[in-house]
Amino acid sequence: MTAALRATVAIVGAGASGAAVAWRLARAGIDVLCLEQGGWLDQARSPSRGHGWERALQTRFHPDPNIRRAKEDYPVAAEDTPIQPAAFNGVGGGTLRWGAHFPRLRPSDFRVRSLDGVADDWPVSYDELERWYDLNDEMTGVAGLAGDPGNPPRLAPRDPPLPLGEGGRRLASGFDALGWHWWPSDAAILTRPRPGRAPCNNCGPCGVGCVRGARASNDNTYWPAAIAAGARLVTGARVTRLATAEAGRRIGAIEFVDATGERRRVESEFVVLAANGMGTPRLLLASADAHHPRGLANGSGLVGRRLMHHPTAIVTGVFDARLDGHKGPFACALYSQEFYETDAARGCVRGVQLQMLRGSGPVATALGGYMRRIGWGRGHHREFARQFARTATLTVTAEDLPEEANRVTLDPVRVDAAGVPAPRLSYRLGVNSRRLLDFGIARASEALRAAGAVDVVVNPLSRQAGFHFLGTARMGEDPSSSVVGPDGRCHEVANLAIADGSVFVTSGAVNPTPTIQALALRMADAIAARLGREG
Amino acid sequence: MSPDMALMDAVLGTLLPGEGAWPSAGDLGLAAEVGAELGEDGAALLAALPAGFASLDADAREEALRAIEAARPAAFERLVAAAYTAYYVDARVRRVVEQETGYEDRPPQPLGYELEPFDEALLERQRARQPFWRRP
Ligand SMILES: Cc1cc2nc3c(=O)[nH]c(=O)nc-3n(C[C@H](O)[C@H](O)[C@H](O)COP(=O)(O)OP(=O)(O)OC[C@H]3O[C@@H](n4cnc5c(N)ncnc54)[C@H](O)[C@@H]3O)c2cc1C
Ligand code: SF4
Repeated sequence: MTAALRATVAIVGAGASGAAVAWRLARAGIDVLCLEQGGWLDQARSPSRGHGWERALQTRFHPDPNIRRAKEDYPVAAEDTPIQPAAFNGVGGGTLRWGAHFPRLRPSDFRVRSLDGVADDWPVSYDELERWYDLNDEMTGVAGLAGDPGNPPRLAPRDPPLPLGEGGRRLASGFDALGWHWWPSDAAILTRPRPGRAPCNNCGPCGVGCVRGARASNDNTYWPAAIAAGARLVTGARVTRLATAEAGRRIGAIEFVDATGERRRVESEFVVLAANGMGTPRLLLASADAHHPRGLANGSGLVGRRLMHHPTAIVTGVFDARLDGHKGPFACALYSQEFYETDAARGCVRGVQLQMLRGSGPVATALGGYMRRIGWGRGHHREFARQFARTATLTVTAEDLPEEANRVTLDPVRVDAAGVPAPRLSYRLGVNSRRLLDFGIARASEALRAAGAVDVVVNPLSRQAGFHFLGTARMGEDPSSSVVGPDGRCHEVANLAIADGSVFVTSGAVNPTPTIQALALRMADAIAARLGREG
Repeated sequence: MSPDMALMDAVLGTLLPGEGAWPSAGDLGLAAEVGAELGEDGAALLAALPAGFASLDADAREEALRAIEAARPAAFERLVAAAYTAYYVDARVRRVVEQETGYEDRPPQPLGYELEPFDEALLERQRARQPFWRRP
């Protein structure tokens, strides 16, 4: 076996959280090494340069790893969940494929037990996290507008907001007519140039990569800065196991298979898991040993449990005029948080965000991307012409409450190319989540009608919306009811920390990445302080 | 052309028949591509067609396909997806899409579309609103 690699801090996963940690530590002068099973994606050669981009969305850019089946992917057992996994593996992780909608949690999201008597409070508050949110915005490059009455005041985003487009303008007028909140999205997309990155040119399909580097994807934000500061990144490196030392109290080595298929090790003072809320509990469970028979750091039994997604309904309005929704970043235009907070009159707790999606291309329209597949046979072309370029969509993003039965376990049969058991998702939509979705569908439909939609089509639960994996190694003060402490370090393994969305205590009802990254930066500063370096 | 290709063209022409400016999917030479995408499912679907399918009239062809759709929904759905994809990425169809809907017959990049400035006047009503986020 080749000699072990050495580093002060080793990170598993080069996605949104791993990238942020690598930069923050390298910048503090710490020797960092990151193992990533995927490689670099050449976004300059994105399929958006050809007509085939819509085919690419269904094949090599398909969000579901079970359909994409690229060499860097691992299989996911997903028969026992109505919500299929959506994830992307490579330098940048999920942000290579994401929509770049970039909202923060609200202060109340960190206090749901105190405010609403459900789930648990976080051991950290919005105010404590704010400076890392700000730092993350600066590193990412955010377009948006300060002054949203639905959120706490904050620094003005660097770039002005993206244009709403005709669909967005109509929706905004619909919300205004109903007296409901809306605000232009915070987007991790540049509208002004920045060194090495051009501003967005409104091309539309961010999901197949951004040739201009306008859309932040961590391979163009944190990684170049981390590498310039000395961080080392090993691609094609699939981690198979964390091996403990000192009677299970510390991680002694990370075992991985390199790009040539050789089995190797990394030895480091500290290990950070950043493999996302599915990949991290999978590795902890797959690393069970005599000292941790139920899985690493799993004395509480909570590793893999309390899996939260953001259950999503899709509500689309068909208008009798051209809206040209193919123009503009598909997932970033505006949102409404009118119904974000608990209202007892709804018969459920917590709330929803309504987020606008613009339109789809011809193939996705025909296949019913946000709506129903257009029927085949005579009449197809008429229906296509009625819908295409004439729709605007609101997604209903519901806060999912943590339930222990919703979980990630190891599949007893399936393994990845390195022999590591596949994660198995077991998930049932909770009663509260269903009520929130139904409530949100009714409000989204009203908003679309108020905006002038002549027809409204509802998908009550999007099947391909498992893009947020949260809560599977929750944070807390008490080792009997949490996996990591408030600083992200595992209670039971002194030199192991978790940087990804596994640590979420509750889910909020907004896209999670800004919060994942703010927590990751904060955790990195805590590690740097322990290692005697300033963050 | 092999008999299978001719039959697949007849199927494609039934799924997406010519109408007005829209060409029939059966006339665009997409059979091989769709067949390759479907693999064994494609052969099985073709084998399930009634004899003489290609020479039936439009109603009878549609009826035959609806029967197969009901009997083998998953495989049929894959056929429809492959047919729609091949059809709507075809350059000849893109030209008609432009003509009929105004959607430009060019890829999203490198030209993109104009990034017009955000009009802050739209926010007049929202700006007048008091903060309503909940303080814990
Ligand atoms: C289609 C889609 C749209 C999205 N849109 C948005 C959005 O608009 N806004 C938003 O906030 N979020 C969005 N997300 C979610 C966002 O991508 C994730 O929240 C974010 O990427 C999570 O960061 P992470 O670091 O936890 O994990 P990831 O970014 O998933 O990174 C984990 C990395 O770890 C690597 N890894 C895992 N296991 C191993 C192993 N055993 N060995 C080596 N490497 C390993 C993976 O290859 C991967 O690169 C979207 C996601 C998808 C898929
Ligand atoms: S819409 Fe903008 S951010 Fe998205 S891919 Fe196109 S240029 Fe990039």
